[in-house]
Amino acid sequence: MAVSNLAAKDEAEIDKEDRDLSMEKDFDIEIKIKDLCISFPDKEGGAPITALQNINLDIRQGEFISLLGPSGCGKTTLLRTIADLQQPTSGGISVRGQSPREIRLQKKYGIVFQNPVLYDWRSVRRNVCMPMEMMGIPKKERTARVTKMLELVGLMEFGKKYPHQLSGGMQQRVGIARALAIKPEILLMDEPFSALDEFTKEKLHEDLLRIWKKTNKTILFVTHNIQEAVFLSDRVVVLSPHPGRVSAVVDITLERPRSLEIKNTQEFNELVVKVRKSFESL
Amino acid sequence: MNLIKKALNSKKMVTVVWVIGLIILWEIGAAIVAQTKRSPENVLPHLYQILESVFSTNKVNSTQTALQIVLSNAGITLLRAGIGFLIGTAIGFILALLMNMFLTVEKTVFPYLMIVQMIPILGMAPIVLAITKDINKSRIVIAAILTFYPVATNTLAGFKAVEKEKHELMYSIAATKYQIYSKLLIPSCMPYFFTGLKISAPMAITASILVDTLQGGGGLGTMLSQSLKHAMSIYVFWQIVFFSAIIGILSYYLMMVIEKILSPYKRKGPKVKAEVNADEKTA
Amino acid sequence: MKKLRSKFNRQTITTILYPVLFGVLIAVLWQTQLLHKIIGADTFTLPLPKRIFGIITDNWSNILINVRATVIVALGGLVLGSLFGYLLAIVATVFPKWGSGGLTIASAFNAIPIIAIAPILNNLTKDFSKDPNIRSMFAKMLVVMITCTVSMSINSYRGFTELKPFSLDLMESYAAKKTAIFFKLRVPNSIPYVFTALRISVPACVISALVSEYFAEYVIGVGRQIRENIVLAQYATAWAYIAIACGIGIVMYVILLIVEGVLLKGRR
Repeated sequence: MAVSNLAAKDEAEIDKEDRDLSMEKDFDIEIKIKDLCISFPDKEGGAPITALQNINLDIRQGEFISLLGPSGCGKTTLLRTIADLQQPTSGGISVRGQSPREIRLQKKYGIVFQNPVLYDWRSVRRNVCMPMEMMGIPKKERTARVTKMLELVGLMEFGKKYPHQLSGGMQQRVGIARALAIKPEILLMDEPFSALDEFTKEKLHEDLLRIWKKTNKTILFVTHNIQEAVFLSDRVVVLSPHPGRVSAVVDITLERPRSLEIKNTQEFNELVVKVRKSFESL
Repeated sequence: MNLIKKALNSKKMVTVVWVIGLIILWEIGAAIVAQTKRSPENVLPHLYQILESVFSTNKVNSTQTALQIVLSNAGITLLRAGIGFLIGTAIGFILALLMNMFLTVEKTVFPYLMIVQMIPILGMAPIVLAITKDINKSRIVIAAILTFYPVATNTLAGFKAVEKEKHELMYSIAATKYQIYSKLLIPSCMPYFFTGLKISAPMAITASILVDTLQGGGGLGTMLSQSLKHAMSIYVFWQIVFFSAIIGILSYYLMMVIEKILSPYKRKGPKVKAEVNADEKTA
Repeated sequence: MKKLRSKFNRQTITTILYPVLFGVLIAVLWQTQLLHKIIGADTFTLPLPKRIFGIITDNWSNILINVRATVIVALGGLVLGSLFGYLLAIVATVFPKWGSGGLTIASAFNAIPIIAIAPILNNLTKDFSKDPNIRSMFAKMLVVMITCTVSMSINSYRGFTELKPFSLDLMESYAAKKTAIFFKLRVPNSIPYVFTALRISVPACVISALVSEYFAEYVIGVGRQIRENIVLAQYATAWAYIAIACGIGIVMYVILLIVEGVLLKGRR
């Protein structure tokens, strides 16, 4: 791990410069959410339930952004709407000037769910391969990309294993590799680590940041864990429930690259407190 | 000493002991029957008597020994059962596919599938024979009807059991309908499909034998009823009883073997012990 | 009013409408003899619904006698087999090591064609009673009982042993006796499994009752009437009995579903 960290450091610095530059330019807004409202019809025939109300949010290219909130705040709904799994009631989302549907049809989304949803009849390699088969990518390239992805998530030796032979953390890594294999522009992660134990989770946090640095994707990360959101993100979007709305956007100014030690710093704790305060003020 | 204890405790041993126990039970029953009944071989002959008849070279009719009769007639019955089984499997699978694809089809057909389950199809065997007027055709038809129902319902249940997230994953990469079926739905319904096959394979054989008894013209069932009417040695009957039981069980295991071959992921491999090991390797 | 309308929305209407339309279509095809052309039958072997219905109403008293015989066999065998199966499952739970092995063997019996055992039991019960009706009824009941025993023993054994995680630990933490664990935990846990078994064995008991009648010594029962009438080439009467047999199967299954709905209310 140590070796790869050192190697990654240089890359990270270059990446950071890129990002700093890009922030100044307006056309690098990747996802633009404007006046988004979503409501569901009530099951008992009553008034519709508002899940999201007047969401306005701009997400920059290459940004790591967390959607944080208690259950029922609509954070998953927001992610699903961006992914075109859900349709807005009013308002809109544009991704690179296009609709979420157009982006989905261009296969520019990578999605990781809370449950790794692997295909138990396929080996790890063939699981990662699956979306590429659908895109008609030639076999040779598929194989090369699978190898690269497994290397990235650290599962090189497990390619021939079947999902049920892997631990939960490893299964989630396969899910991440599969999402990245199609070279998506935007990685959408819906509480991907919430079912994992604390040790595995921290390991995957570090790995995810390393992968993000290497690939420079825009990542939308849904979570209900404050520490997780602060540790990973550039910005934390705090959502409050009933109806779901943005109650605060907290800039995470911690320097990158981040390691687990950063959690011991005062700066980190102050940010955690700041995020928590934005809940209490509701 | 320990070795013997271990062998006694193993799971296979339990099965063996049970089989031996059943044999003993049978023999005790046979001994009692032999004492109390006039023609014990009609009720419960000793197992060795049945076995003896299998290997005996005495001809029970003009040309064949008991075993030859059983085997030559088994061919007819099993072939028809097999054809009916295959047809029923195909119809059942296609129906499940159509029901999953089109809501209209599902709504129309599903209630009838439920009703078919409650209808004693085997009781309808004579009428099927009357309509088709051909014993071979009616064997196939009955076997197919009995097969199609469990296959259709189980396969449909398999399609429905696919998690929402797997569908969403497919949706998120804009998979076509064909891709969703070939890469997701059909592979994931396989265990359910085979559950259906395991239920229906023995049923198809039973049905085929039953249809045999309705009319002469060969087949295990015909021989069974002839033997019961004492048209030939009663041991033909006992052989058929054991033969059909064995075939029924074998058909079940045959489905299991086919499933294992087609879905290797179920093969048990060494389980990876700990996450830690894996992470050390990546470091 | 609003609630009522939302209940009877388009979805619900089509759910009822489509199968009814399909049924009507088949009935019309049948009555207009188009169905006969499709499957290549004539009105002699496949009589028109109206005629079948007429025979049922004309022979109602005769039919009732046969229905009674069949239902007694089916229900008697179902009750005996289910009780015996449940008992076997209890024994298997008390002696888990030998019990589970025994049930694996029992599940193999599932694959044995029931047809094979019907004649054996006929022979076995010959000395049971002087009245051929009673002794053949006993033989038929035994056939039904065997078919019902297997599914009940396997399913209720699962009900006794597949407990919710930690529920057994919870009982142990109360230092509960084995009998207390059995009655407070295992028996309630087994109830849904009992119904799973019954969903298999209720249709099966009707089928095996009908089939065992084919081989029975005494000529009575719906199944036997189907066969006898076909032998006599009275196809319309045979069809009437088939319709009755279907009716028995459906009524028994619906009763089961209602009982299950009442007993398992609020449980899932």
